Amino acid sequence: MGEVEIHGLSKRYDGSPDLAVRGITLTVLDGEFMVLLGPSGCGKSSVLRMIAGLEPITSGTVAIDRKIVNEVPAKDRDIAMVFQSYALYPHMDVFANMAFGLRRRGVPRSDIERRVNAVAVKLGLAPYLKRKPHALSGGQRQRVALGRAIVREPKVFLFDEPLSNLDAALRVTTRNELIRQQREIGVTAIYVTHDQIEAMTMGHRICIMDRGEVVQIGPPLDVYRNPVNTFVARFLGNPPMNLMDVTVEDTPAGMSVRFGSCSISAASWPADELRRMGSKAIMGIRPEDLYEGPLREGGVAIQAATIIAVEPLGAETLIAVSIDGVADDVMVRGGRETRLRTGQSATIMLDVSAVHLFDPETTRVIARSQS
Amino acid sequence: MRGSGPLWLAPLRRSPLLIFILLYTVVSGGPFIWVALMSLRTTPEIFASPYSAPSPPHFEKFVDAWTKSNYSTYFWNSTIVVVSAVALLTLIGAMVAHCLARYRFRGHRLVRFVILSGIILPPQLLILSLFQILLEFRLYNTLVGLIAVYVAGHLGMTVYILEGFFAQIPQDLFDAAQMDGYSDLEIFWRIALPIGAPALFTAVTLNFIILWNEFLYAVVLLTEDDKRTLPLGIMHFMGSHQLDIGMAATGLMIAILPVILLYAFFSEMMIKGMTAGAAR
Repeated sequence: MGEVEIHGLSKRYDGSPDLAVRGITLTVLDGEFMVLLGPSGCGKSSVLRMIAGLEPITSGTVAIDRKIVNEVPAKDRDIAMVFQSYALYPHMDVFANMAFGLRRRGVPRSDIERRVNAVAVKLGLAPYLKRKPHALSGGQRQRVALGRAIVREPKVFLFDEPLSNLDAALRVTTRNELIRQQREIGVTAIYVTHDQIEAMTMGHRICIMDRGEVVQIGPPLDVYRNPVNTFVARFLGNPPMNLMDVTVEDTPAGMSVRFGSCSISAASWPADELRRMGSKAIMGIRPEDLYEGPLREGGVAIQAATIIAVEPLGAETLIAVSIDGVADDVMVRGGRETRLRTGQSATIMLDVSAVHLFDPETTRVIARSQS
Repeated sequence: MRGSGPLWLAPLRRSPLLIFILLYTVVSGGPFIWVALMSLRTTPEIFASPYSAPSPPHFEKFVDAWTKSNYSTYFWNSTIVVVSAVALLTLIGAMVAHCLARYRFRGHRLVRFVILSGIILPPQLLILSLFQILLEFRLYNTLVGLIAVYVAGHLGMTVYILEGFFAQIPQDLFDAAQMDGYSDLEIFWRIALPIGAPALFTAVTLNFIILWNEFLYAVVLLTEDDKRTLPLGIMHFMGSHQLDIGMAATGLMIAILPVILLYAFFSEMMIKGMTAGAAR
């Protein structure tokens, strides 16, 4: 068991008038991989450190297995943490690093050897057990840090941006290794990152934070497809969701959304919600929901678009488009064989079913009608 | 391309530097070599020809200095005082430096200021009050009293050397050890101290050299002959009515031998400790 329940958790640092974390409530289920995702300074590491017991809690509670641990010191919470800097003890060899926590807990020497060796074999560290950390590569150090956490067999794993010091290629392999280990061991894991690819690929659920608050929690694809506000819409996805100011028109034929020379039906959204906002709204559309053509069912053509940049990435092509009177930098995810060229006028297609509408005042999404 | 001009000019271009190094070596090493040569000659020989080489070398003077005077007692007194003081200084200094570098507490800056202000106070200023304090605590004319004075007097410098180094140890290491189940004291003992070894060696070496040669406190606070330390013992050969310069030189060589050995063993570590953090 390793369920982590956070209720109304807040943090104010000495000398700061503002709260770094504002009343966060969150439950991480036993065996779940939860990713805390957000920009730098959003409070995600503070949450992790409060769960770990490394940072005093200003208000709220942290419970592990339904037992409130606010007053329990870090060493007694049965949590293991992997740090961004790996935090390997430089004067100890790999074996001693991995055994350090077990020694403190009075595990018999033979058990320590068995457990450390087993984890070392699992992580491919067996040949390096006698090496000091400075004699290891970045990836090996990362694995030692992970091994040190695994060997403890804790209730909860905490990861504080453990991959951010690795180069791009190593990050992918280590990420997959980490996912595999967590799924195999089945221990609850809370993973902090600002990298959305890590969040999308690793977590059972992701918790997006902004300015010390939780903005949205859910399975990665749900959050990606149904962002609750413009922050999530822009934060998740690369390139991010295109946001455009649009006009909502109330005509006898029904509600519609107009941008530039285009108009799409707004029948899927509650009319009273749209009326309440007045005539303005923000329309969101992902780059992959805009395409070159031909027009598919449920699509609408946007004319008067000018190609301002074409970026071939190999597997796909990113196309920056200016739509007259609407937006200058709309991103379109095109095929690798695109014939569009910079400076050219083009017609871009839009998948109406993928359109999101946001309230310009609150930036919150306007939910589609269920009917 | 390295440098320019004909190759044969290269030594000439470097000559100012070479001359400076040569002069520096003569100025700093010359007196040492002279004393080393005198330590193997008798006083009449030295007075007859001060700069000659020993012919024949009188190695027996080292045995005489050790056995016929109180030199062995001075040596052991020095060893007891300096080793104890350096051990205490290193331990207490490391604890204080670790606290100041790691923890933020009320009065942190004041505590730091008070400890480090010890560096700027000249020893002459404190000698009278220390004399009085030691008298009251019945520590005057005792080795324990001198050890206490040395520890108090050099704590500021020790903390100054160690704090900068300890402050560079990443906080993550302490957090990791905490997560591994260790208490603050255990973390100090098992993490901060071993990682801080280069800085500790620096502190040990510097304190050892300074205290081994310390004269002022020792001459004021120790009066009985069997309590005296080496620097006072050397004075024994340079009394007001006699001057046995040959034996004084032999005594000096015995006195500086431990310092040279210590420096030879720890100089590399010491430089590492002093330059730590200078470059990443």
